Amino acid sequence: MDPRFTDLLRPFLKHAGPGDLAITPETDLRRLGVDSMQAIELLFQLEDGFGIQLPDEDMNDATFATAGSLWRAVAAQLPGEESGRVTA
Amino acid sequence: MPDLPATDPAGTPAAEGAAPRDTSPCDTAPRDTAMSGSAAWAALGAAGHLARVYRGGDVRRGIDVDGLADVLATADARWSIPATLSASVQLATALPVLATGTGPAVEHALTRTLSGTATLALAATDTTAGTDLTALRTEAAVDATGVVVTGGKEWITNATTAESFLVLARHRPGRHFANFTWVLVPADAPGVAVRPARSALYAGSGAGHVSFDAVRLGREHLVGRVGFGLPVFARHIAVERLAGALWGVALCRRVLDGTRRRLAGREHREGTLWSRSHVRQRFAAALVRVRELHALTERSAPAVAGHYDLQAAATLKAAAGTTVPYVLGECAHLWGAAGFADGGMQEIRAQAALFGIGGGTTEVVLETVAEGAERVLGDLGREVLPL
Repeated sequence: MDPRFTDLLRPFLKHAGPGDLAITPETDLRRLGVDSMQAIELLFQLEDGFGIQLPDEDMNDATFATAGSLWRAVAAQLPGEESGRVTA
Repeated sequence: MPDLPATDPAGTPAAEGAAPRDTSPCDTAPRDTAMSGSAAWAALGAAGHLARVYRGGDVRRGIDVDGLADVLATADARWSIPATLSASVQLATALPVLATGTGPAVEHALTRTLSGTATLALAATDTTAGTDLTALRTEAAVDATGVVVTGGKEWITNATTAESFLVLARHRPGRHFANFTWVLVPADAPGVAVRPARSALYAGSGAGHVSFDAVRLGREHLVGRVGFGLPVFARHIAVERLAGALWGVALCRRVLDGTRRRLAGREHREGTLWSRSHVRQRFAAALVRVRELHALTERSAPAVAGHYDLQAAATLKAAAGTTVPYVLGECAHLWGAAGFADGGMQEIRAQAALFGIGGGTTEVVLETVAEGAERVLGDLGREVLPL
């Protein structure tokens, strides 16, 4: 996952506890505090930060389930990027 | 009970009594508390004031905080709380949400509303609880040819006067935030039915309920991206909360001013009510609360208007939702029996309870404040110096 993506995501994980959390593709976003309101703000920041628009078919619970699923949706919209290759 | 003056308590001759008259424009403006929200909107449009609420007069460039504050203070000085509510909702939320769309239907409604020629009703609150938006039932069935809207909305400001409704509807089942879309529904479209809300307190706002019986429209009536109904609403409700705080300061200031005049003009023993220390202290406590709200609003406005800071907006809403009812309650008490006159302080106090309900109840916004407690505490902290 792109470090820009994990840096942007980190402040939204308010239930991560003390210390630096290692964000992996399996990181459970909802469990770590990304509720509906947080997801809305995260969506705007991702679209503004990466200059993309997530397609309607990606706007669902599955996309916002884990860091990996969300990064795949973002990366798929990046021109010339790795099309969703997910590594920690 | 003494004779009750059938007047508005703030800024009227009876309210001013023997007190010297303030010469600020806010207090010398003639008040017409019977004017409807739609008539007030038309007057603001005819005077060219609506565009000044937006940067460069362009809704799509965002809110100009000073312009918004000026227009809300003007409406509050001249008209009733329901009429000002009618303007506030359109300025802070309905027009900016509409401006997220494009196409001829959107541009037509935008032009007519921004000129004051027409009113636009923001129809978000469903027949379900207003605090549970993701449970709303109004449906927008979208296909390649158009959209069909079916459902109902309740307690909608401007419902009885609107030329169009900006309807928040679900385009697919489930609670996910991306399941909702805005649709621009003309009030005269077949299948639209409006009935006024039975509310003496808020009739002037055009409050009403509206139902949509398989209202069929072209795709040009979809506003903004499909699935972005809630994200767009979340951003613009932040501005509505800022507008509420700006208006709350103006309203409290006006009412406190009228109350001070009233107290200064009421003889009591060898002085006036204003010379009584317990009255002055009660008044001053309310004044302090307004100064607090004003300071918070000034500090938070750039973050809300500039980048839709939901935390700052929730804090403002929570502050206004408690300060405005408190201040108006204190003023109503200080008015004594005269507060019960038609259109008097007690009526204004009852109307102002809206500040703790509309646009998110105090409890709902306090939850948002609690979510950001860590950040708020961090902002309040200072470096502890080494010794």
